[in-house]
Amino acid sequence: MNKLVAIAGGSTLVFAALALMMGVIPGYELSKTPPGPGVEPLTPIQAAGRDVYVANGCGYCHTQQVRPLPSDKAFGRPSTAGDYAYQTPELMASERTGPDLINVGARQPSEVWQYIHLYQPRAVVPQSIMPSFPWLFEVVQQAPAGVTPVALPKAYAPARGSWCRAPKRRRWWRTCCR
Amino acid sequence: MAAKQAPIATEEDTSELARVLIGYVISATAWLLFATFVGLLVAYKFGAPEFGSGAWLTFGRLRPIHTNDTFYGWATMALVGLAYYIAARSCRTTLYSPRLAWVGLALFNLAAIAGTIALDLGYNDGDLEYREWPWPIRLIFLAALAVSAVNLVATVARRNTEDIYLSNWYTMGGLLWVCIIALVGALPWYQYWLGQVSVSGFYMHNAVGMFFTPLTVGTFYYALPKLLNRPIYSYALGILAFWTNLVFYPIIGAHHFLFSPLPWWLQTTAIVFSVAMLVPVWGGSANFLLTMRGRTSDVAHSYPLAFILVGVIGYLVGSTQGTFEAFRSLQEVWHLTNFTVGHSHLTMYGFVTFSICGAIYALLPLATGKYPGRLGMAAHFWTAVVGSFIYVISLSVGGTIQGLDWMRGVPFIQSVDDVGPYWVWRGVGGLLMFVSHLVFAWNVWRMTIGRSAQALPLAPALAEGASA
Repeated sequence: MNKLVAIAGGSTLVFAALALMMGVIPGYELSKTPPGPGVEPLTPIQAAGRDVYVANGCGYCHTQQVRPLPSDKAFGRPSTAGDYAYQTPELMASERTGPDLINVGARQPSEVWQYIHLYQPRAVVPQSIMPSFPWLFEVVQQAPAGVTPVALPKAYAPARGSWCRAPKRRRWWRTCCR
Repeated sequence: MAAKQAPIATEEDTSELARVLIGYVISATAWLLFATFVGLLVAYKFGAPEFGSGAWLTFGRLRPIHTNDTFYGWATMALVGLAYYIAARSCRTTLYSPRLAWVGLALFNLAAIAGTIALDLGYNDGDLEYREWPWPIRLIFLAALAVSAVNLVATVARRNTEDIYLSNWYTMGGLLWVCIIALVGALPWYQYWLGQVSVSGFYMHNAVGMFFTPLTVGTFYYALPKLLNRPIYSYALGILAFWTNLVFYPIIGAHHFLFSPLPWWLQTTAIVFSVAMLVPVWGGSANFLLTMRGRTSDVAHSYPLAFILVGVIGYLVGSTQGTFEAFRSLQEVWHLTNFTVGHSHLTMYGFVTFSICGAIYALLPLATGKYPGRLGMAAHFWTAVVGSFIYVISLSVGGTIQGLDWMRGVPFIQSVDDVGPYWVWRGVGGLLMFVSHLVFAWNVWRMTIGRSAQALPLAPALAEGASA
């Protein structure tokens, strides 16, 4: 019995200590990182967009971290700790099959381009292998006030009416649990 | 509860143990088929992005389904089933509670099914690798892990041997530590903003290396001596590897976020101990290879041994590659590229999956008295070896090209274009791997419910004393 306590209990105690040291405590300390200059809480529409990003796993192809390396120059200034304020769940990600997106709003500010690209990436980037996301849009005869209709090239446009960003459904468990 | 079957062995306890192993292996095999089919679909989309363009089949939802079900459906269930069997046999005792084992299996399956559905509907807790399932589902999974850990430790506690055989050190350790990992990953209070990034590094790293690795290594220590009918080369070396792995591995999670805004000391510490990991990896691998020394012809004539040999080589090469990938100079090229996907398949497939299949071929016939056909094992082995070889090589080369493209500063889309052919080859490799799983499922069928092949000498040494 003593051997069992030493092996199972001892090793579990060692692991628990290391988990505290390398997981919980750094997490706790870094959770207090102050927001960087100009980093503001997300507006409701930004938060809703972020939820769509998370739900559809955009993070498996797009990083949100610019490294201080020559190969990341195209994506703007290197990311700093304060850039990640208000970013929970974190989207730093580990794979970059598509380009980094942390500064995409600054690099590609055209709303129309973004919507066309989301609806059908190959309408604007022929070699793109990104999935298309038509179900995020709906056909309407008349775009509601304040909503930009997506100006699609002829080949992708609906016969009548135009495509619009679809209204966002509420994500019940995220609101109740976070 | 499993349907009542005719007792397979003479003793009731033995047949109960066999039924538990059968239940876990069949369940795991079903998840292997599903998860790798999803993987195949995901691989196909790299060449045909419009294929399955609805919400339920979009890449970003299928990808975590592939990884989670491979991890928590296939590998977890198979390894827990094997750990139960190994504990009962090596301790010369009976399973503490078959009932708890069935409860655990039901909870594992419940979590995996619910998790799969949730991810496909777009409900996740973030694109946080290997912990995407909404937290209530991860708590069900944690309950399954806790039940399994208790059952395993209690089985070892009622042993009829003086010592605790080394296999059980690793399997008990893996199951106890993963409960802590799952808990650290689930509790919210230290996971905001950049803090969550550091927890992600800890979690994704340890969920693999402090769970699947020790459980798999535990099966090596049991299956190898059994198949070769000779003791492990060095028991002491196995103990050294156990403690060094325990101390070094949990420290190195941050090497998944090199050059990120995480504190530089955290990243540097991770690199230093990534090198230290060579001690348990080379120590353990040498131990297994030296146990096989001079027995080449046995390995050549026994598919269970051949599977385990590939598993040992996968462990050695994959983990050593992991050490090298942790260097800043090499991360500059490989980080964020498809090279890492090749690495994860070299380890989770070349190491873990090959070893599990070898252990199942070695131990399941001992439990059931039914054997797979030699042709079936050969077909599984060679398609899996060739398939995974193509898979890993193509992504390693493609990923390197991707990284070099970024360093040259060409437009980003050029890197997508350049990897194209290598993604096709990855798909070819993946297809072969999937086909090998169909054969594996057929072999599992023959070892459990179906008609046994002629009892064949899995290894010459086993032919005589198979009852042990």
